[in-house]
Amino acid sequence: MIELIKVSKTYPPDVTALTDISVTIGRGEMFFLIGMSGAGKTTLLKLLCSMETPTNGLIEVTGKPIHKLKGTALARLRQKIGVAYQDFKLLTDRTAAENIAISMEVSYKKPQIIRKRVVDLLEQLDLSDKHNTITGELSRGEQQRVTLARAVANSPALILVDEPTGNLDATTTERVMKLLNKCNSSGATIVIATHDDSIYRDTTHRVMELRKGRIHAVNGGMNA
Amino acid sequence: MNFWFTVFRQVGRNIRQTWPSQLMTLLTVSLSVLIFAFFYLVYTNMLSVGTKLGDDLRLIVYLEEQPGPEMQEQLRRKITNFDEVQEIRFISKIEAYDRFVNQLSQNKDVLEDMPHDFLPASIEVIPLKTLRGLTQIKLFSEYLAKLPGTIKVQYGQEWVERFYSFTRLLSIIVLLSGNLLILTTVFMVAYTIRLTIMGRQAELELLKLVGATNNYIRTPFLLEGLLQGLLGSTFGLLSLYLLFDWIKVQFSGPGLLTLFNFTFFPYSASFTIIGVSILLCTVGSFTSMQKFLRI
Repeated sequence: MIELIKVSKTYPPDVTALTDISVTIGRGEMFFLIGMSGAGKTTLLKLLCSMETPTNGLIEVTGKPIHKLKGTALARLRQKIGVAYQDFKLLTDRTAAENIAISMEVSYKKPQIIRKRVVDLLEQLDLSDKHNTITGELSRGEQQRVTLARAVANSPALILVDEPTGNLDATTTERVMKLLNKCNSSGATIVIATHDDSIYRDTTHRVMELRKGRIHAVNGGMNA
Repeated sequence: MNFWFTVFRQVGRNIRQTWPSQLMTLLTVSLSVLIFAFFYLVYTNMLSVGTKLGDDLRLIVYLEEQPGPEMQEQLRRKITNFDEVQEIRFISKIEAYDRFVNQLSQNKDVLEDMPHDFLPASIEVIPLKTLRGLTQIKLFSEYLAKLPGTIKVQYGQEWVERFYSFTRLLSIIVLLSGNLLILTTVFMVAYTIRLTIMGRQAELELLKLVGATNNYIRTPFLLEGLLQGLLGSTFGLLSLYLLFDWIKVQFSGPGLLTLFNFTFFPYSASFTIIGVSILLCTVGSFTSMQKFLRI
């Protein structure tokens, strides 16, 4: 599903975010990316969805070098990747439902399917009463869940999640993880960048730790 | 979901979000089309008036002496030497007097003491309809003036020259207003689309990230420009038609306007104006997208 071979990223003038990252993430795998703030987790996720281009190395997603794709080919691949951004990237003048629907609209899903999926996701994330609420009026935790709902709405093959539980209480964290596990069970590959050890502490999935932009350790993987 | 359904919904959203500037652009496009179409309408009608006048054009050659049959034949040959003409008519002094009497009708008494041959004999030359343009008429007139026994040649020079100058001025105004139309439509539409793009920067960025294709993002903006052109030019032409209709009703009595048959644009011209406006607005939209839409 994902191949990273000797990937490095340096921001101008010479801030090194990642150095020689090589890892393979299999189809249907749940993969945790951990490390302290500034370790390079977000940069790695941005490289995986082609928000950033690597300075060196090769990145392949579903067998395609994503950093070399452009135009329609890139758009089509991005439709298969759901991303929950750390800064949410919500349209704060639109309702929660409209924000979630966006990822399905670009794939030309039928309106009734979109409506049903939105209601379903809001229910799973305990946001049913926020269907028509403008996202600018939601709390940080609620906004975070709307972002996650948008990421999984289009049933993507790859879901990238950046700090999914940063603003959530224990119960809501559990709901979020339940939704991600459900997506994973349906076959989606999931990469979660986090420093919340409660969500990966007892996991059977692989956990890769980054330190100062380098791979420090890769543990687990019994379930992979 | 259908592509066009999504695009139209996006256009609706854009218009709702930036309706004051959209409305201003629509009014500007309408006004530009109205100004251009007004002058163009006057110009085309003047051209048809010119054609009509050309049809009625005749040159009168006043002669020193009334020519005899042989002289008439010689003059006829000389005239047709310059160019084929539609008709050459010789008017004798008596005939000229009779015409004058008819023209004076009730006031013919003023001629009571005048001799019946006080008016000069003349030749009425009706040129072919192919003889068009002030220069050609002038050349023909100069040629006729050189015929032996000619006193002078008249064809309403002053009036014809004024008319041609007026038509030339109109053609310049039409050109200028055409340029105004081009500038305002392209720039106003480009400006409005730019505002829309700026206002939706965050959304466009997100659309790109969730996998929207370039067509998905660009088509609504193009369609917006197209709609501005379509609606703006239609309103402009409709306003002109109402104005034209009003003027026709107001001046339907006897007067200068009744002398000529003023007509509105044929359908083909109206559709051309609408088509060109649509094209210009779409170009405005496209240039703005090329400049400000980074996808």
